[in-house]
Amino acid sequence: MMQNLPWLFLVLPLVAAAADWLVLARRPRVAACVSIISALATMALCVAYLCGLQTGAPDSYVWFPVQGFDLSLGLLMDALSMKMMLVVTGIGALVHIFSLGYMKGDPSNQSRYFAGLSIFMFSMSCIVLANSLILTFIGWEMVGFSSYLLIGHWYHKDSAANAAKKAFITNRVGDFGFLIGILLTLGLFDSLHYADMAGHMKVEAGSPVLTAALLCLFCGAVGKSAQFPLHVWLPDAMEGPTPVSALIHAATMVAAGVYMLVRLQVSMGLDAFTETACCVIAGIGAITALLSALMATQQDDIKRVLAYSTLSQLGYMMMAVGLLAGEAAMFHLYTHAWFKALLFLAAGAIIVRCHHEQDIWKMGGLRRKMPLTVLCFLAGTCALIAVPGFSGFFSKESILEAAWERSMPLFVLGVVVAALTTFYMVRLCLIAFCGDARTHEAEQAQEASPTMLVPLFILAVLAIISGYGFVADQLVPYAGFHTSNAEWGVTFFAGLGALIVGGGSAWLIYGKSKTLSSKSDPVGANCVSQVLRRRLYIDAFYDHVLVDGVQRWFTFLISCLDDGVIRRLIGQGLALLTAWVGRLLGRLQGGSLRNYTVVTSLGVLILMLLLIIFF
Amino acid sequence: MLIWLILIPVIASVLIGFLHTPGRATALVSSLLTFGLGIGSIVALSMGAGSDWLTHIGDLPTTLTLSLPLSKPMLLLTVLVTLAAVLGMRAPDAAADRSWSISTLLISAGATGAFISDNLVAFFAFHELALIPTFVMIGLYGRGERRTIAWRMTLYLGLASMVLLAGLVLLYMQLGTTKFMEMMVMAAMGRLPASACLTAGLLLLGFGTLVSLFPFHSWAAPAYASAPTPIAMMHAGVLKKFGLYGLILVAYIFGSGSAQFFGDWINLLLILLLGNVLWVGCVTIAQSRLDSMLGNSSVMHMGYIFLGIAVFVLSGSSNALAYQGAGMLMLAHGLSIALLFLLSGQIERRTGTLEFSALGGLGRRQPLLGFFFGLAGMASIGLPLLANFVGEFSIFVSCFMDWKPGTVGSFCYDWLNNLSNMLGGLGPVQLTLVFALWGLVISAIYMLRAIRRIFAGDLTPVCERATLPLSGADICSAALLSAALVLFGIVPGILA
Amino acid sequence: MTPLSHYLIFSALLFSIGLGGAIMRRNVLVVLMGLELMLTAANVSLVAFSRAQGLEGVPVYDAQVLALFVMAIAAAEVAVGLALIVAMFRARRGVESTSLTSLKD
Repeated sequence: MMQNLPWLFLVLPLVAAAADWLVLARRPRVAACVSIISALATMALCVAYLCGLQTGAPDSYVWFPVQGFDLSLGLLMDALSMKMMLVVTGIGALVHIFSLGYMKGDPSNQSRYFAGLSIFMFSMSCIVLANSLILTFIGWEMVGFSSYLLIGHWYHKDSAANAAKKAFITNRVGDFGFLIGILLTLGLFDSLHYADMAGHMKVEAGSPVLTAALLCLFCGAVGKSAQFPLHVWLPDAMEGPTPVSALIHAATMVAAGVYMLVRLQVSMGLDAFTETACCVIAGIGAITALLSALMATQQDDIKRVLAYSTLSQLGYMMMAVGLLAGEAAMFHLYTHAWFKALLFLAAGAIIVRCHHEQDIWKMGGLRRKMPLTVLCFLAGTCALIAVPGFSGFFSKESILEAAWERSMPLFVLGVVVAALTTFYMVRLCLIAFCGDARTHEAEQAQEASPTMLVPLFILAVLAIISGYGFVADQLVPYAGFHTSNAEWGVTFFAGLGALIVGGGSAWLIYGKSKTLSSKSDPVGANCVSQVLRRRLYIDAFYDHVLVDGVQRWFTFLISCLDDGVIRRLIGQGLALLTAWVGRLLGRLQGGSLRNYTVVTSLGVLILMLLLIIFF
Repeated sequence: MLIWLILIPVIASVLIGFLHTPGRATALVSSLLTFGLGIGSIVALSMGAGSDWLTHIGDLPTTLTLSLPLSKPMLLLTVLVTLAAVLGMRAPDAAADRSWSISTLLISAGATGAFISDNLVAFFAFHELALIPTFVMIGLYGRGERRTIAWRMTLYLGLASMVLLAGLVLLYMQLGTTKFMEMMVMAAMGRLPASACLTAGLLLLGFGTLVSLFPFHSWAAPAYASAPTPIAMMHAGVLKKFGLYGLILVAYIFGSGSAQFFGDWINLLLILLLGNVLWVGCVTIAQSRLDSMLGNSSVMHMGYIFLGIAVFVLSGSSNALAYQGAGMLMLAHGLSIALLFLLSGQIERRTGTLEFSALGGLGRRQPLLGFFFGLAGMASIGLPLLANFVGEFSIFVSCFMDWKPGTVGSFCYDWLNNLSNMLGGLGPVQLTLVFALWGLVISAIYMLRAIRRIFAGDLTPVCERATLPLSGADICSAALLSAALVLFGIVPGILA
Repeated sequence: MTPLSHYLIFSALLFSIGLGGAIMRRNVLVVLMGLELMLTAANVSLVAFSRAQGLEGVPVYDAQVLALFVMAIAAAEVAVGLALIVAMFRARRGVESTSLTSLKD
């Protein structure tokens, strides 16, 4: 019995979600409590396991008993998964508590909101704890669904409903590849269980079919972790409530792609990762990091800046995965989860206090109105732009080190992205927090409520200390991990240079007192800025070519062909054939008694002839 | 015992028709009885009870059985959907109430009979019995150009039945018996006759058209869109599964010889099912009305079940996963499409229209309706934890179970062989699957667009007025189907 | 003794006359008479066979019984047929078989 305790990670949130949705739909406070209790309980369980609780291997659940194939679901409890679970349940619990304050007074159905959060906790736990690609895929689809639910929480807003739809469909495109990858893996390894993969490859390492399988699996990660060219859904996903953006679209779900690839590297072995596959993974990661950092420099919506920065950091992680530096990727995933959750929650607190104003050019002077929140935000910012001593510094350093060792172009790119990151974060902080309030809403802002501040403080502390060896060695979700303590090497100076260049240029452009009181971006009018603001026209391309072109005109054409050709040809053809046969046979039924008699006698005659001939 | 599953609805429809008992109430009693009896028989059988008391009346054996493959899940599907259809039925007037009830019961009786007959003749005859009320109901109570649609459906299905009958007669002549169990023995003993190719082709064409196999699908979507709600639920949900059931049965009869029996027809099926998934998928996206979108989506999803059947046949009936997956998807698709038609009927009752352009923001007026629709929609696009996913995923996995990576392709075209080699030796089934998987994206697009347009966004005038809440019976009906979808999604093992 | 073939040829002729009448005449009354002729022809061959198949001058009575049956049924048939014709005459003022096309129209 005891060995099945880990199943609680899945069962508790699922039960909570069902209860919230079905039973407690009219009692939002109780529903919130149920969800929070389930989140806290799973976190406690996770901490207990990390502190050394041993219950043995959990039984697997025979999901669909079929002869000759093992379609069972089981949990994998190793260091990688349990430490990842701590990140998920930890941030999950904090976000649940923060949501209490954030959603207070919101007219929408909060039971639905908390049910969505619980479904998310369930599905994320599926991905993290899965012992096979089957359960991973189940979780994979379910996180997509919960993200759809939560982005579209305010479904009466057109933008939110569209964003939810876009997120789900874009993810489905990724899942298309992911599923092919899973099936190819099944063919290549004869099993979908992570434990059975190592050493069971049926083709030699480096064969093209292996590359194809890996790239298809990567396709899933491209969708879920919003890598170029499927990155378009993540910035739109910011239409959801901010705590959701913190939990799902910054800290955990979008990192699932990285986690899944690292899990595969661990279980298949690094040899299985062919050179082509690695090049593509690292390349896509680097392109995403660069493009989204560029786009982030000209965003005016505080959540969109953070969303693009998430994209860019995910690109970093993906680059590390492609460089076969899984430990660096997981390290960055782990620090990023804390500080990005912090940034989003702090941004959420600011948004609530500014009466749901998200445009940074309508804020200003907030450091005096809500100093504690702003302080927390700054801690997150320092971690994100890798100020030495903050957690992000250590993890970014380890990725840059891996790049320095393995690929010079990627290293240069990484440093450029680091400079851009500093630029847009300093820009954001200068405009939103310094100077004077630009609008009445910002004028009236006041400090956030305790239910919001407590999670912020906890996350702020983690954002600062989680990179140091004494914490990281215990908690980074990677077996046998050791942080390299900051050395005075090339990467350190490159990072420091990026910090100074990025911060300095932001200060030069936006630090002037004239800018600090203006109500729009002083460089917003030039053409580079316009291109970046329009998201490099990628979204426009998708909207016009894919949505309008394919989804509307191409399907319209097909449906016309279906109606005009297939129905006409086969339907009318059958009708004509039947009518013709009918007319032919109708002649026999002339209604004349005499004809009937003749035909009958002829028939008898023929029968008699046949009888005589054949017998 | 099983005979009552057929007799009860027939007796009930006689009562309604000749004694003028209230239509829906009588039908409800009848469907509750068959529901209890059906579930009871399945449970008793799986608990290990002897099958004699089930298949005998007194000492006389009937021609009914539950021991055929897929009889049990299909019976389950029939009783569930019948109960839901009767519960959710809202006829415009008393005469319609009687005729809708009678038709629903007769379709139910016919479908049950077809799914639990142990011989060819009853199997075919019961299905024909169930088809007749469908035509009549569409012709009398359909929406839009109901006469044209009813005639077209009659034409397609009548000719399909004719072709099918020819195939079945040939099958009988080859195997010399009409009993399925004896056919299995005969097929295992004898060699395949020379005319097997013709028989298989006729069977595939006949069964295929009954299931709206591309390009013989033009009857389906307009018929479902036009039919009264309970009839659409019964036909799309239950009766259409007859063709799939028949194909699986034939594959099962021939056992390891099924691949040889079907021969090259299976390759044709692989191509045609892509037509179902991709071509009809695109048509589905282009629809501007909910009912025709649902009708087309039902045609589209048949492609995956055909894929499962093709894999099952190609493996010589040894790929249990393909067969279980196809069975599961048949059940799940029946439940989800019936639920979707039920809810679209409810939407039409409240708003008076099913045009996407006129609907919007309904979720604010009808949150519960939105919940059920979302669940059904998500089930039909294969979300995990709901039954359709189990079926689809099993079929997908089964396609790759017999795959030998790195082997050279065995297509008759060089360019296909080259493509196959480039992709690491994917065979016909695997290549088909890779294309068919695009259906995942297609189905997400049309279903989410429908949910987005109907339930989200600003309230339109027609939805503004849609304040009539769901009645208790409506909720029971939707909850019954939803609960079944969730149950079979989480613990599909109870069916196996 | 007259050989069997004579009877059979006679029976065939009788049958042909009956058939001809049934086909060619328009008056339903005459058609009915043609039918009677055909039945009689069948009876003739039955009785002929009965005698030909018999042993030692004793005929096979089965065939004769059958002939009696045919006569009884022919009588019933004539009764029904005449009744129909009378009804038809009352309804249409005529017994022409060519005018019986209401099923077609």
